[in-house]
Amino acid sequence: MSGVLTGLEVGQRIPEWTLPITPTLVVSTAIATRDFQDVHHDRDVAQAAGSKDIFVNILTSTALCERFVTDWAGPEVQIEGIAIRLGAPAYPYDTLTFGGEVTEITDGVATIKVVGRVSLGDHVIGTVRIAA
Amino acid sequence: MSEELVDPAVHEKVMAEAERIKSWGEAAERFARDPVNQPTINNWLEAIGLDSPRFTAGEAPPSMAQVWTMYGLGGRPSEDDPLHTMMTVLTDAGFTAVLGTNCEQTYERYLRVGEQLRVTTALDSVVGPKATAMGVGYFVTSRSTWYVEHDDGTSERVATMLFRVLKFVPASDPGDRPGDRRDTREDT
Repeated sequence: MSGVLTGLEVGQRIPEWTLPITPTLVVSTAIATRDFQDVHHDRDVAQAAGSKDIFVNILTSTALCERFVTDWAGPEVQIEGIAIRLGAPAYPYDTLTFGGEVTEITDGVATIKVVGRVSLGDHVIGTVRIAA
Repeated sequence: MSEELVDPAVHEKVMAEAERIKSWGEAAERFARDPVNQPTINNWLEAIGLDSPRFTAGEAPPSMAQVWTMYGLGGRPSEDDPLHTMMTVLTDAGFTAVLGTNCEQTYERYLRVGEQLRVTTALDSVVGPKATAMGVGYFVTSRSTWYVEHDDGTSERVATMLFRVLKFVPASDPGDRPGDRRDTREDT
């Protein structure tokens, strides 16, 4: 291993990170990812569609995985891929709690398993691959 | 199993349409509205709360790849969009609800401010019918590929995404349970 991956070991855990979900977070991230679907900014429409409230969009779930791993590994790390499975919706007034673990280190690429939980269960389960 | 979940004639039609649409390969090509640019990066950094000196020094966050080619406010998929077409086939067959289930992005490199992106979409697979907690439906996977257009006329593949949705017949009363997520995303 070299550079920013020096010292990483399989099984190493990433400190938890909690993010309060606010309406402002849901709306600002949806618009910043250029996702104008009404269920991400209009509660009336979201509820009429059977949802409890507006909810975090998928581009943001991916972006938050990028932030979680980057904040921990440092900006010089190279993210090679983010693969996520989507679970429970992330609604305003809930809290997203991210945790992670190094699951594999092969040929200079480390795979980080990431889980973002909300009160309803796992919101996002994924892997982020990083290289030096 | 499929015979029990879905009328065989319906299943046959769904799979025939899937094969037809898969044969289009990479389709629905379009260009990003704007080149990779700092103001859009700054808006994203503020909203996501990510702080990295790289993203004010010429590079773009990798997971923004999809952002550049979003349709935007009021945008609609084109008639030849493979994912949109497959979704319509399933909607017409009674699988009216949609749920995003997987998104797998791969980045060849970080994009740079000023680069012009092009994206294509292909139908990767249609798998089903499956009985899920949400209802009976098909998993539809599309593959998006992003290219940077260079001045010498060459294209460089810079990112790919496999995106999977469950297209299903909704339960009579979905209620508010974990996994009850209606994300009708069809654009990339």
